[in-house]
Amino acid sequence: MHFDGRRRIVPIGTKGERPLTASIDILRGTLDVLVLKALSWGPSHGYDVATWIERATGDVLSVGEGTLYPALHRLRSKGWVRSSWGVSDNGRRACYYELTATGRAQLRVEKANWTRYATAVFAALAAPAKPA
Amino acid sequence: MPRDDRSPKRGLRARLMSRGPERDVDDEIEYHLQRRIAEYVAQGMDPAVARERAMHRFGHVPGVRAEAVRVERALARRERAGEFLGAAVRDARVAMRSIRKSPGFALTATICIALGVGVTTMILSAVDAILVKPLPYPNANQLVSVYAQDVPRGWHGVNISYKDYVSWRDDNRTLSALGMWTWSTTTITDGESERVAGAAVTANLFALLGVRPMLGRGFRPEEERLAASDVVLLSYGLWRRRYGGDSAIVGRTISMDGRPQLVAGVMPPGFNFPDRGQYWMPFATDGPAREGRDNRGYAGAIGRLRPGVTLEQAKADLARVSTQLQQEFPNENTGWSAEVMTLRHDLTGDLRQPMLVFLGAVAFVLLIACANVANLTLVRGLSRRREIAVRSALGAARGDLVRQLFTESLLIAGLGGVAGAVAGAFGVRLAHFAFPGGVPFYLDFGVDARALAASALVIVVTAVLCGVLPALRVTKLDVNRALRDERAATGGSGGRHMSGRSVLVVAELAISTVLMIGGALLVRSYRAYTHTDMGFDREGILTARVTLPDQGYNATERRIALYSDLEARVRAIPGVKLVGSAQGIPFSGWDVQATATFAGRPVPPPNEGFDSHFQVVFPDYFPAMGIPLVRGRPLLATDRDTLAPVAVVNETFARRAYPNEDPIGKRVKFAPPNDPAPWITIVGVVRDFRHYRLPQPMGPALYMPYAQSPGRTQTLVIRTGLTDPYVLVPSVRAALHEVDPKLAFYEVKTIDDAVSESLWRQRVQSRVLAVFAALALLLAAVGLYGLVSYSVLQRTREIGLRVALGAQRSDVLAMVYGQGGRLVVAGLAIGLALGALLSRTLGSLLYEIAPTDLASYALAGGVIAAIALGALYVPARRAVSVDPLRAMRIE
Repeated sequence: MHFDGRRRIVPIGTKGERPLTASIDILRGTLDVLVLKALSWGPSHGYDVATWIERATGDVLSVGEGTLYPALHRLRSKGWVRSSWGVSDNGRRACYYELTATGRAQLRVEKANWTRYATAVFAALAAPAKPA
Repeated sequence: MPRDDRSPKRGLRARLMSRGPERDVDDEIEYHLQRRIAEYVAQGMDPAVARERAMHRFGHVPGVRAEAVRVERALARRERAGEFLGAAVRDARVAMRSIRKSPGFALTATICIALGVGVTTMILSAVDAILVKPLPYPNANQLVSVYAQDVPRGWHGVNISYKDYVSWRDDNRTLSALGMWTWSTTTITDGESERVAGAAVTANLFALLGVRPMLGRGFRPEEERLAASDVVLLSYGLWRRRYGGDSAIVGRTISMDGRPQLVAGVMPPGFNFPDRGQYWMPFATDGPAREGRDNRGYAGAIGRLRPGVTLEQAKADLARVSTQLQQEFPNENTGWSAEVMTLRHDLTGDLRQPMLVFLGAVAFVLLIACANVANLTLVRGLSRRREIAVRSALGAARGDLVRQLFTESLLIAGLGGVAGAVAGAFGVRLAHFAFPGGVPFYLDFGVDARALAASALVIVVTAVLCGVLPALRVTKLDVNRALRDERAATGGSGGRHMSGRSVLVVAELAISTVLMIGGALLVRSYRAYTHTDMGFDREGILTARVTLPDQGYNATERRIALYSDLEARVRAIPGVKLVGSAQGIPFSGWDVQATATFAGRPVPPPNEGFDSHFQVVFPDYFPAMGIPLVRGRPLLATDRDTLAPVAVVNETFARRAYPNEDPIGKRVKFAPPNDPAPWITIVGVVRDFRHYRLPQPMGPALYMPYAQSPGRTQTLVIRTGLTDPYVLVPSVRAALHEVDPKLAFYEVKTIDDAVSESLWRQRVQSRVLAVFAALALLLAAVGLYGLVSYSVLQRTREIGLRVALGAQRSDVLAMVYGQGGRLVVAGLAIGLALGALLSRTLGSLLYEIAPTDLASYALAGGVIAAIALGALYVPARRAVSVDPLRAMRIE
């Protein structure tokens, strides 16, 4: 194999992938956007992402830490996140994740969607009376 | 490291660092747990408890692991596929760029492939439709046709008598059913009169074929009687066209020949038994002329073999029945037997030999196309040796070079293949026109996918193999030498390859010579057919047949009156010179044979009598056809005495029946001597003319005036002074409409068209082979041109040197023509020898031309030599115009 520096991975099949703005599974969608946000400050391990999410949400969204990993791999397979292997201080192989350019753009989209969604739900719940 | 996430390095590094999805995920999870445990331990927890807590907090480890691995695997699969596709697209782009640099090569190779694939697809599709695909009936290989044959006289495929049919049907042990049919035509008389053709069939025939009516019912056995036979089955086409596809027509009556007929049903689409039939009626077993065992006037019988019975067993079985009949009925059946053949052989047997010849011819064309593609690709490969060497020196791996050349070859082969498929489809459409009146219903003639795939495969493999060859050789090539070698600079020395490619060109020339000889033989045979002296005038004669129904025309006076009236009216049409009529005109297939008895001679034993063609004519038939009287007197309008009938005979009759006597005044009859029928006196002799389809020669014939033997069918022969007699058709139809609006003409055509139609197979044969020969020659010329031009290009420096040393223009020409000429002579010599061997396979396709016909060989050799010399002209010119100074500087 040789590369000419302009190779482009052509994804085959998008079966099962959701369109950018859909939020069918709220929990999963929530996790994805939180992971993207966690990575927006720079590369980190899964462990750091988990820790950040717990702190940032005040332990409100207490999902099993493990569910984070399939989410990370899913994001990687969408091209929003890339990974690289490094060796940690104690000599263990550790996987670092970082946002790609598309991932960064996706974070903006998801954030906007989430704000719209939350505003709408909040407005509805805050309504004083049933309209005539 | 570039931050562009499309950078290949990321993928590369990720892959290098990865240890497989399972290991990666395990490491990742373990790392997480260790960090959490460390955190808990730092808070002062016991390590064992810390691990348990960490596990608990993590969740279901095997589940997470499985899900992560699944996602990872799917990603890996997609990346692999994407890489492959990306590489393929990139290769294709590079290949396109490279091909665009030499459009001449690409175009020539594409055309060669397209021609090869196109003609092969067309012919293989035709062979498949005609010789291979089963006929459109269930278990069609069990179906057999049964005819009569006169063994001692060698007559085959003769019509059958009803009595013989009944004996074969009832006494055989090998057929599960035997049905009978005969041709039929009728005029639909409600609405505008229209003559339609169909068949009269026994009630079991369609059932044994396995075809059921789409609407209504088939015939019942009790309808095989005149009194009950007023039922009809319509073809799908007739039903749609004339009755608007109205299913209410079933059970109603329509008017045919002025009689009401109950529509019993409509047959399914695409069923037009026997070949273009539009309606069917029951065969009435008590109809006229069913009794005579020797009245062999019905089209034939079709049977179905019992399961497990072979054709040979059926033949032997019916031969056994026929032998019994010969003993039982010596007068009628001596020498006669049943002739059994497969239905396929019956329907397409006469196309078998031409199809096999086409198959051979197209194999040759494909072979030449392959040789040409091989040659072109090899030359191109040689001329790219320098490029390949450079790229190899720059570090391109052999695999990469192979892949690139592979892609290039595949691209060209693909383009050619697609063009070939289009050409093949077009060819099949064109071939449909080869059948007069369209492809018969029982042939399923479309583009055969297997044929297309097979021909494409052969030529694509050739292209790709030859295309990749130069890259495979690159390892054997000393790169330094290849770059330094000035001969490599112009394309490589390749002495060995040169001789290999010379062999290919010689083979191409030889094969085209063979095809050209075949083409010349068939074209000359067709010419012999069309130039046969028919014995009648072919220009300006219109013919039209009319058949009178029972209704209103039972009395002979009515028939005579109608035809006389019709003739008089047609004669009065401006532009008409003469009008006569016969029952069937030449080349129409009409043939009634009868055994003649001669006054004063002993009666010969059964099946050894004198058989003669028999026609009933209106007197002006002969002058209208341009057939002269050679002896005696012509038939006259006054010859009406049915008790003292007269006739004219043809020269063959006169010569064979009265070798040393004057036939005029002699008496014959078509019945035993003691029969009360009156003797017929011969009053004249007309010159022989061709009545039967060529190549069958004319036999004895006797012509009686219509007034003495009025039948129901006559074919008008209208001699005009017009170059296009068809302009008279409306007036001729109007004349018939005036005498009886319920009658309709059919088989309206000029005599020239009748002759031409009868020769359709010969015409198609000669054209197909001529076209193939031309294609082969074109391809071979391209091959020769390519080889010699390349050689001139390669020897540019040598030629320059020679010119500088004093070689003359003629020396240079001699060099080029000498090189090419050797190939042409070798190709011609092999081709002529091979042609002499193979032309014998044309056998019965030839007519009045021997397989060794010198003129054909001379013609073929001359054409090949001329075109080959033409192909050498351009490279020769180029060689002559070589400038020695510039040529020497080429390094």
